[in-house]
Amino acid sequence: MPTAHSWTDLVVRPVVDTAHLVRFRGATVRRPRVARIAWGTMLGITAAVVVVPALAPGAGAPTGRAFDALLLLPTFMAGFLVLALVSAVASGGGRELLPHEQAVAHPVSPTTDHLGALLLAPLNIAWLLQAWFLLGSAAWAKGPDGLLALEVVLLVWLALATALAQVVAWSVEAVRRRSHGVAVVRTAGVALALVALWLQLTDRWGPLLDALPTLELVVAGLDGHSPRWWATVAGMLVALVATVALGAWPAHLTARRLPRDEQRVESASHAARPTPCSELGMLLRLDRASVWRAVPMRRGLGVLAVGPGLVALAGGLTWDMVVVLPGLVVSGGVLLFGVNAWSLDGRGGLWRESLPVDPALVFRARSLVMAEWLLSAAAVTVVLASLRAGVPDASEAAALLCALVVVTAQVVAVAMTWSIRRPFSVDLRSARATPAPPVVMVGYSARLATSTTITAMVFSALSWTAPWWVSVAVAAPFLAWSGVRWRRAQRRWVDAPTRALVVTTVAA
Amino acid sequence: MTASVPPAAVLVEDLHVRFGEVEAVAGVSLTAYAGQSTALLGRNGAGKSTTMRVLAGVVPPTTGRVSVAGHDVARDPLAVKRAVGYCPDVGGLVPRATPWEHLQLAARLRRLPSVAEAGHEAGWETRGRDLLERFELGGVAHRVTAGFSHGMGRRLSVVLAAFHQPDVLLLDEPFDGVDPLGVEATFDVVADARSRGASVLLSTHLRELAIQVCSSALVLRGGERVATLDATELLGEVGADAYRALLD
Repeated sequence: MPTAHSWTDLVVRPVVDTAHLVRFRGATVRRPRVARIAWGTMLGITAAVVVVPALAPGAGAPTGRAFDALLLLPTFMAGFLVLALVSAVASGGGRELLPHEQAVAHPVSPTTDHLGALLLAPLNIAWLLQAWFLLGSAAWAKGPDGLLALEVVLLVWLALATALAQVVAWSVEAVRRRSHGVAVVRTAGVALALVALWLQLTDRWGPLLDALPTLELVVAGLDGHSPRWWATVAGMLVALVATVALGAWPAHLTARRLPRDEQRVESASHAARPTPCSELGMLLRLDRASVWRAVPMRRGLGVLAVGPGLVALAGGLTWDMVVVLPGLVVSGGVLLFGVNAWSLDGRGGLWRESLPVDPALVFRARSLVMAEWLLSAAAVTVVLASLRAGVPDASEAAALLCALVVVTAQVVAVAMTWSIRRPFSVDLRSARATPAPPVVMVGYSARLATSTTITAMVFSALSWTAPWWVSVAVAAPFLAWSGVRWRRAQRRWVDAPTRALVVTTVAA
Repeated sequence: MTASVPPAAVLVEDLHVRFGEVEAVAGVSLTAYAGQSTALLGRNGAGKSTTMRVLAGVVPPTTGRVSVAGHDVARDPLAVKRAVGYCPDVGGLVPRATPWEHLQLAARLRRLPSVAEAGHEAGWETRGRDLLERFELGGVAHRVTAGFSHGMGRRLSVVLAAFHQPDVLLLDEPFDGVDPLGVEATFDVVADARSRGASVLLSTHLRELAIQVCSSALVLRGGERVATLDATELLGEVGADAYRALLD
């Protein structure tokens, strides 16, 4: 007999279950010492970004760049919200504390799933970088005096913005799972892009950003521990609790509906095509199918390729800035499957491994598919960005092409190495799936972002300081080093015991 | 006059497989002959699937000698892979590829002649279609396998193992979750393989099905072989009691 939901059902159980799942995930970490170091590093960086800029020369000055940072703080806060929104919406409601395939045997409620997704949201390098940027900007803008009050407001804002993004993400996912929901969501996305374009063309972004409600929060934070500050923080905390609670409703709504995107892909038919003439051709075809028919890859690619491109288009970036974009896109794109590339075969890996084919050829095919996939995403971004950047001169064109090829080679070599060194058994069906556990993904993304950004900055500088051939000359050692790493990874893959370990792990 | 002994298609001597500190197979020896089907029986964790993976060339042996169709698994795994057809115990299918694409991959890598090359009725396409129909998968030949039921996946795995008419057919839990029609189709595949002189090794928990299709059985326990029996010795209640006694 149905009974009214009690406080225990609605709140206590989901919270207790979330704690159980967090403990379970914590207990299943393969290398606890490394995980503890990673957590310590993240906390250390967070403390550093709050303290160091505040003690830097010029921090808290009433004029100059510190004051500019203070003026831009409300915009940065809004930017953080937009990024959290995009991330949560693209991942279909956020990451899973327990993968669906494992959770299906347990009574995990959608509220627990919602709370888990909220807890995992910060384990994302984009979230972390934006959060550190925001806290660091505030520290520099305010200086040490009264900084604590402002940072508390910002910390609560980070939590509130993440919770708000989660509510929107669940709501969008609930709509997407209705009939014609995918079309509705896509239409809404295009409409939002058109509105942004209209704001840009009519020069309305400035007035709009000046009127953001985040301005009030910053002003309250600058007030110190005044009654206004207490009221603001209390209000934000109440809003945070209410938003977290509100998110459970669309989460339940989503859980009751079938994931149409995934179902469409899983029930799709593909007409037979002639068998390719070569073994490599056949391997490429199957690997391409594994990538392009996966919902998380398609959705992730769309966001990664189009998002930075549109931002560059709206901002009217010059070529020296456009050169940086491929590194951003490529390092993000490889996180969708590349860092655990053999998981594309899923449990079919055992059968594939029983086929008579040179393992080096299989390795080459997987690397090629990864490279072409990353290059296509970066190309879309560059094309969008180039619409307002004008015609590049020879130096700019060479720097851009070299940056594109170099970061792709770097990322493919590293990803193929990691795929062999640390394979994971994951099901990449769901838009919420990631190729490795969340803490591992943070480590991967931090390392990739660092290396590709530094590389891209080198070529960005060359685009306006050196003739075109210098970029080509600088690219050569980068490519050679990536080639060495890639060949080393291939040698490990060709080793039968190593390969067996990878295949049996991803097929487990 | 003595009865002729068929040639050994699979020869395993003192096979050990270790994964770190875990010894999955601890000294298994077995012989499987051409034209015969042999069941590998045992409880979970007995080492059946690992032994099958070694025979398929997927996992290299840690120590011991393993010869499949005359090829040493450690020295020439590629030749072994050409000779075997393998249905793995878990999944065995690439999630976002269609059954036909699986067949295309196998045909390409095994260099099977197509209809265009071999003439009508002799190409791999004809045999692939026939097998898919026999396992009632003809209607989903172009659908991605991610949406398949467990039973459909198992049936397709058997199709892929038998597709190229291998010298050694390795079926690991082929009856798991498969309906009676699928079981009958698998029986037919095993009978076909035996009739053309192939050796069949079939790993399963299901003693009743194993003795219907196999002539002999090896019982593994704790990674070791504990008995080699004629299938008739496992028949009925007496056979069930004998099997149970070997498992404990």
